Amino acid sequence: MSDSAFRDEVRAFLAQSLTPEIRRAGELMTSVFADFDATMAWHKILHKKGWIAPDWPLEYGGTGWTLSQRYIFQEECKLANAPALLAMGLQMLGPMLIRYGSEEQKSYYLPRMLAGDDVWCQGYSEPGAGSDLAALMTSAVRDGDDYIINGSKIWTSYAQYSNRIFCLVRTSKEGRPQAGISFILVDMDTEGLTVEPIVGLDGTVEQCQVFFDAVRVPAVNLVGAENQGWDVAKSLLEFERGGHNFTIDHKKQMAKLMRQASSQLFSGNSSWRDNPVFKAKFADVAVDALALEFTELRVKGAFQAGGNAGALSSLTKVMGTEIGQRFNELSLEVMGDHALAKQLDALLPDFDGEIIGPECGLTTMAEYINNRASTIYGGSAEIQRDIIAKRVLHL
Amino acid sequence: MFIEFSEEQTMLRDSAEKYLRDNYTFDRRQAIVKQPRGFCAEHWQMFADLGWLAMTFSEDAGGFGGGALETMILCEQFGKHLVLEPYLESVVLVGGLIERGASAAIQEQVLSGIVSGELQGAFAYLEEGRVADPWSVATHAEKDGDDFVIEGNKTVVLNGPEADFFVVSARTGTSDTASLDNISLFLVAKETAGLSLRNYKTYDGRAACELRLDQVKVPAGNLLGALDGAYELAQPVFARGIVAVCAEAIGAMDALLEATVNYTKQRKQFGQPISSFQVLRHRMVDMYMEIELSRSLLMATAWKLDNAAPDAEQCVAALKAKVGKAGRYVSHNAIQLHGGIGTTDELSVGHYFKRLAAIGVMFGSRDYHLSRAVSF
Repeated sequence: MSDSAFRDEVRAFLAQSLTPEIRRAGELMTSVFADFDATMAWHKILHKKGWIAPDWPLEYGGTGWTLSQRYIFQEECKLANAPALLAMGLQMLGPMLIRYGSEEQKSYYLPRMLAGDDVWCQGYSEPGAGSDLAALMTSAVRDGDDYIINGSKIWTSYAQYSNRIFCLVRTSKEGRPQAGISFILVDMDTEGLTVEPIVGLDGTVEQCQVFFDAVRVPAVNLVGAENQGWDVAKSLLEFERGGHNFTIDHKKQMAKLMRQASSQLFSGNSSWRDNPVFKAKFADVAVDALALEFTELRVKGAFQAGGNAGALSSLTKVMGTEIGQRFNELSLEVMGDHALAKQLDALLPDFDGEIIGPECGLTTMAEYINNRASTIYGGSAEIQRDIIAKRVLHL
Repeated sequence: MFIEFSEEQTMLRDSAEKYLRDNYTFDRRQAIVKQPRGFCAEHWQMFADLGWLAMTFSEDAGGFGGGALETMILCEQFGKHLVLEPYLESVVLVGGLIERGASAAIQEQVLSGIVSGELQGAFAYLEEGRVADPWSVATHAEKDGDDFVIEGNKTVVLNGPEADFFVVSARTGTSDTASLDNISLFLVAKETAGLSLRNYKTYDGRAACELRLDQVKVPAGNLLGALDGAYELAQPVFARGIVAVCAEAIGAMDALLEATVNYTKQRKQFGQPISSFQVLRHRMVDMYMEIELSRSLLMATAWKLDNAAPDAEQCVAALKAKVGKAGRYVSHNAIQLHGGIGTTDELSVGHYFKRLAAIGVMFGSRDYHLSRAVSF
């Protein structure tokens, strides 16, 4: 099938399957997460269609699409305002289980993940182990056929909705810190596990802290061998970095910014779109976004040719998030005082009241606030620059 | 230029510093944010008792004759403690407009209430879709016998829900929304028929409202300043408002830098305090330099306004643009260097960030003032 025929097929499916409420949840995203219920409703629609995991191998439930088709699918979903699917299962744990999991783990967890029966969260960071992840202290001590886990994980996105968590735990204090870490799967309803929500700056809860107080987990839940968890995690972190396509997000941001700049007056009867300061700043970011687009195509090309992105994935993460933040700032300039109105109820997909101020400014402040985290999570901008310094420049 | 504070100015700063340090801790501030009113009546009364609300009014009006420098001194302390009470809205803006433009009768009635803290005001001058420019006004007022009848909508009226009266801008001539020449200001009491409010909170924890004026009738005596004279009357008041929020921003940035320096000294990763990493040290040095440059511009601007310097207005635009940039740089990096914990509601860092974001867009955002600054 030609790419353009494929694109038509995807568009037809989206036009037919995206309900107004699910689409609204996508439109109202102010971070990488959409409204949970709408997200899972969309997840189930895609699962029914067989399009839930295009990046997975065909035999595990993938679609067998070419890289180019996968890109088209991603792009069309975002342009149609489909809510982002939760990445923790499909993008992170799934590929890792396919590579490192036992046959039993694969046959049990993967179908449940695809169906949306399990919702996964990621237990990596700890209060004392952020950028220095290998310093993690949450311990798992062998006790017969089980491990006993004690400690705490933080910045656990959507833990409040999850029924399972994959964790890095310390199983040894010998040797390098990285050498004593294991990777384990835990049911959230196990006794001794509690979840505390963390209220974010926009007033909503996306993050949690998860506490483990003598949580008993069967040893068969280990993924990979004991003390081999770091290698598993490292492959995942690269996935978290390289797996995101920033260009589509930037294009959506640019389109929205142009709508804002055209509709909001700068002075008298002229709009922001005609203002020379705005135009120069917009052009400056847009050129960087274009350069990043071609960088992402280079990464894709290298991947297609069987190579690997290497430290270019650190580059795209740093530049992709920083460019996104610059667009957020420009939106704030343009929407001005309108961005001040806090109306969290209007950010829910089922809101049917009257919005305060212009519709195009409804998400501006929440997006600006929430995207500050984008240069912190998934390896901070400082850590990514360190990786480039070490691996590319050999400093 | 070297600005040396007078003994009175030093006392004002010390008194504000001490009162707020002892009584306006972050925890108490957050308790006020959670109240539906969004400000604390006891604090407000105390501000009045300490003479802060009277500070900048003339002695005839019951004040102490302070100027932009006094406004700056006080607001810097407000910024350091993220004070929520409507000093800017009620005292600097509405108080300033009334003192400059109202009849003796209104001054006696209303200004004394502002100074004593019993009355509050809100300045309703922004309109939807055109908030960058305070002089882009579509609301209009028609003379009707001894009254004016006002019709229109105002947006993002800060302190609107608490205000006993509003100052409203309206066209009193042609309907060209771009013209500066035919806008007038009116005092409108909250209970006036035809006025309706839609109240809400802002991201930085303040109370605001959308205001609808449906055939609102006010006596001609409620006109502030001359007919068609809003620009001349309000422009110096906006300048004072910009000094107030920029001083607040500098107080907030000082607090952020201090918090960030302390945090990075105590937070250990890779076996050492993260303050030992050169990239973070230089970031904090750049934060410091942004703050000090802003402070210099702020002090000079306040002094120039008090001394009616010819380039005062240009400095006001430069100040707002510079503080917009510095506020972003300092608050973004304060969060970045705190990492995940900086993105939570629990720490003060994020609340300073949100206040700086709000100040950034108030009275024209950075790009608005950059455009002005280059046109002088």
